[in-house]
Amino acid sequence: MQQTSPLARAGRALEPLAWVGPAVVLIAVVVVWPVIVMIQSSFLKISRFGVVRGANGVDNYTKLFAEPDFGGVMIRSLIWVVAVVGLTVVLSLALAQLFNQRFPGRNIARWALIAPWAASVLMTAIIFKWMLDPEVGLINMILHDLGILDAMGGADADPLGKASTAFPWLIGVAVFVSLPFTTYALLAGLATIPADVYEAARMDGASKARIYFSITLPLLRPALTVAMLINVMNVFNSFPIIWVMTHGQPGYSTATSTIFMYILKGSDIGESAAMSVVNFGMVVVLVAVFLKVARWNRQVA
Amino acid sequence: MKNRLTGAVTLGLAAALVLTGCGSGSGDTAGDGGSAQGGPVTLKMVAADYGDGPTADNSGEKFWKGVVDEFQAANPNIKVDVQVINWNDIDKQVATMVQNGQVPDILQTGDYSGFVADDLLYKVDEVLSPNTKADLLEKFAEFGKVNGVGYGIPFVSSARGLFYNKNLFDKAGIAEPPKTWDELKAAAEKLKKAGVAQPFGLPLGNEEAQAESFLWFMGNGGGYKDASGKWAIDSPQNIETFKYLKELVDAGLTTANPGTKNRKDVWADFAAGKVGMVNGGPMSIPIFEKGGLTEFGVAPIVGKSGPLDTTLGVEDWIMAFNKNGHQEEIKKFFDFFYSGSAAQKLSDTYKLLPVTKSGIQKLSSDEKLKPFLDALPNATFYPFQDPKWSEVNTQIKQTIGGALDDPAKVLGAIQKVATSG
Repeated sequence: MQQTSPLARAGRALEPLAWVGPAVVLIAVVVVWPVIVMIQSSFLKISRFGVVRGANGVDNYTKLFAEPDFGGVMIRSLIWVVAVVGLTVVLSLALAQLFNQRFPGRNIARWALIAPWAASVLMTAIIFKWMLDPEVGLINMILHDLGILDAMGGADADPLGKASTAFPWLIGVAVFVSLPFTTYALLAGLATIPADVYEAARMDGASKARIYFSITLPLLRPALTVAMLINVMNVFNSFPIIWVMTHGQPGYSTATSTIFMYILKGSDIGESAAMSVVNFGMVVVLVAVFLKVARWNRQVA
Repeated sequence: MKNRLTGAVTLGLAAALVLTGCGSGSGDTAGDGGSAQGGPVTLKMVAADYGDGPTADNSGEKFWKGVVDEFQAANPNIKVDVQVINWNDIDKQVATMVQNGQVPDILQTGDYSGFVADDLLYKVDEVLSPNTKADLLEKFAEFGKVNGVGYGIPFVSSARGLFYNKNLFDKAGIAEPPKTWDELKAAAEKLKKAGVAQPFGLPLGNEEAQAESFLWFMGNGGGYKDASGKWAIDSPQNIETFKYLKELVDAGLTTANPGTKNRKDVWADFAAGKVGMVNGGPMSIPIFEKGGLTEFGVAPIVGKSGPLDTTLGVEDWIMAFNKNGHQEEIKKFFDFFYSGSAAQKLSDTYKLLPVTKSGIQKLSSDEKLKPFLDALPNATFYPFQDPKWSEVNTQIKQTIGGALDDPAKVLGAIQKVATSG
């Protein structure tokens, strides 16, 4: 029997560390460290020009919570997440079902579905903003030609100018860009459901609706949970659509917490950091609540 | 086994090197700080983009490359590394640089006053030669001072006027541009009857709502501060101003939903012949001409009972940070910029007004710039030296459009931001 030196033994014990090490370092540097700095900044007094002027206690938070628009912004963020994710999932379930069928031109249709995903979100938002321009917007021109819109250039041709019409448009665009990912995640989920389960159900004489709700949906749950989870985080942090299309205006009436945070950065960096921390906390809470509701790792009965 | 371990260690080291590599980029300017030693010195400069973005013919990158090439040819020992940032991002990016201790040597942007309290800047006397300093217009240099000491060096300026579309005015039967609020309303009604969708272009969106509002406030003897220098954003004059604007908006005589419209879009609409009148400046002339509109006139800004005897002046600044040393090199660059053709080229390219006596003289023959050059000596400026201004400005940009619905409430809320804390 060969004698192993203590050094070699120590080396073997440390070996896994060498392999996970870089990943750990990477996570520490690009994820953990910024979070720490963010939390630190939220307790500092920082001039708008970036000069740190010392500790500020909880003043940044007090100021943030006292902002007259803070409450509205938070409620709007919740509506935004629930509406966008809800609509996206319902539409994606239908689309996934459709694309799971065989029909002529299916491949082309599947490719078309990827398009909004392939285009940058920023580009999509700019294009929608242009299409809704009161003077030259394509959507307004079509409405005008159809006789729905009386004249170009007026308030009626300016859906992005009022919160009541702008917010639904923003939600619509957000759903549009979220659909491809969600649908494909669900399509992949559908592909994992074995055919014999369906066969057995049909043999037992189950109706189509029954099959969908008792077999397809429960077996789709893992895919659905992951798709929704990623959407919740994505949509909550979504920035470019609102920033480009309305800048949160009029006033703050279409701003979500991410937009609010960015606007605050122009006037008070410490307060903006406090908003980031609140934002971060919201995402963690939202995800925790969601996982609880979705009963994350419990097996399907 | 041994080989594998070495491999792993190498990998770890490589990763560490890559990661630390991010931070070292800025070290070189501090490293060769011993500028007197004669080795090449690199000046890091950050500048705002007056052009139409990085790919445009008039991009800031192209402009500065021309200036820097010429400067480096004359001063082989100094390299200038210019980073051009668009107006929307420059404040935030510079703030990040300052926060990380990676300040540039030279910064050209819209404000300097926030850096003074923390002793980040060279005094003007330290980086400008007496000749260059004497050529700057005194009134402008005065605004560059904090407590009597100059820190901000005037870079360019601009003034505002009322632009009107001559063809649309002819079509609507309007003989001459309006001078009073009543005349403006009457003219807008005629334009509306003649089928003009936006008789008056009113951008109160986030891009430059603070300018448009200020012009209107001044027309009623108001402003952001009163004569004694106190914030007076919700003064009776200002509230009355927004009540008048509300009448225009409700009658459909302006851009729809002004609180969400940006000046660049409204200017584009004016260039396309869809807007009868709009407030603009010399920098809007190239935009209008590029859009194919040549038949436009310029008049003084309209006031309640007569045209304004003042206008909004905007001054941009260049400043030098003292962190990296390099005082002598910066001085050379500034002298080169102001005494050579660079400042002139800047005015020609972007239709910005000069800040030097010699520069104004050179431009006095330009017919289109004349109304603005005439207005400059009497211009009013933002209260940007007030430390609250940046916060107030952010709030104005985002919310002042709402004052069309409820002037007292929205202006009162902005006043509260200005006077709190």
